[in-house]
Amino acid sequence: MIRTCLSLILFCVFFIACVPSNDDKPSGSSKYQQYYVQGGILYTNYCSNCHQVDGSGLGRLYPPLNKSDFLTNHLPEVVCLIKNGKRGELVVNGVMYNQPMKGNPALTDLEVAEIVTYIYNTWSNQKGLIEVAQVTSLLNACAESK
Amino acid sequence: MKFVKVMKLNWRLDARSLWLVACGQMCFKLQALGFRLFVVFGLSATILSCQVKDTPLPIYGEREVVGTDTVYHTIAPFAFVDQDSAWVTNNTFKGNIYVADFFFTTCRSICPIMKTQMLRVYKATAEMPDVKLLSHTIDPEYDTVALLHDFADRLGVESARWHFVTGVKDSIYKIAQTSYFATAMEDKAEPDGFIHSGAFLLIDKKQRIRGKYDGTKEEDVNRLIADIQKLRDEK
Repeated sequence: MIRTCLSLILFCVFFIACVPSNDDKPSGSSKYQQYYVQGGILYTNYCSNCHQVDGSGLGRLYPPLNKSDFLTNHLPEVVCLIKNGKRGELVVNGVMYNQPMKGNPALTDLEVAEIVTYIYNTWSNQKGLIEVAQVTSLLNACAESK
Repeated sequence: MKFVKVMKLNWRLDARSLWLVACGQMCFKLQALGFRLFVVFGLSATILSCQVKDTPLPIYGEREVVGTDTVYHTIAPFAFVDQDSAWVTNNTFKGNIYVADFFFTTCRSICPIMKTQMLRVYKATAEMPDVKLLSHTIDPEYDTVALLHDFADRLGVESARWHFVTGVKDSIYKIAQTSYFATAMEDKAEPDGFIHSGAFLLIDKKQRIRGKYDGTKEEDVNRLIADIQKLRDEK
């Protein structure tokens, strides 16, 4: 009986210890919160069908966004492909993906910034706030390179 | 003097009525409690009986009585080509149970969710050699055999258990509508160009529809997985 009680208490302690608090996030500002929450909603509507709610992707069809070297190293390209889509081969964590992704040209710069802030700060990703101004200049750059 | 008497009488009356009211309330409360208990017991009895009772799966579609036999709705004859360029016909599923659905590879709306869920069915039936899966593309012009092969390969599934088929567009739409009672058609107003249902259809060894599930809902797919076992146990 005592043992079960103890293990229960231990479990609770572990559980509480494992739940990330907001203070641990790279940025706790209200602007960050606003971007993150709104980005989560947009992610559910536009991205999670393929990339999954937990960002794990699906087989070799849809690449993961969680623990993804591409995401970590290619922020400008990620911003561009959310808006403009992507065709052709794409290597993520050493695996080649080749499922075309249609763009979402109707998204505003702010909405792209919110999605990017969400995917770069959820699951195991912790990059901090990505501002709309930064996204606008990145989007202009990818429009030019086309 | 007279006034006091009247007062006393009144008081007595009042006390009695109060007593009566209190009694009535008590009775009402007890009754309410009894009713609640009755509801709780009734509900749990219903739930328990539902769990215990093993009702056979329904047989969908119109039926006809011929003499002493009942003729049920079955899947019409079909011939499509799968991801290995092999013919897939009714015979492919002879003596097998299968789950059918309709999708296309470039769809962003419900198809990826359906494929995630169908993959769960695929994994749950890994040890069941008599259970197969059949996914029809509703965009055969784009979803060629080579493309379906790549799609299945990237999903990491075996073609012997999960057939991705393509064929004449009208034949696919017709079999969807008339045999599987599933919606599949072109619609230019849709962002992806098609409308189709996210249904998974459970087909028994006699090619009859025995279940219809929403392939985008995890709970519904759990029910499908349970029903597959139920159908396998059926004699």
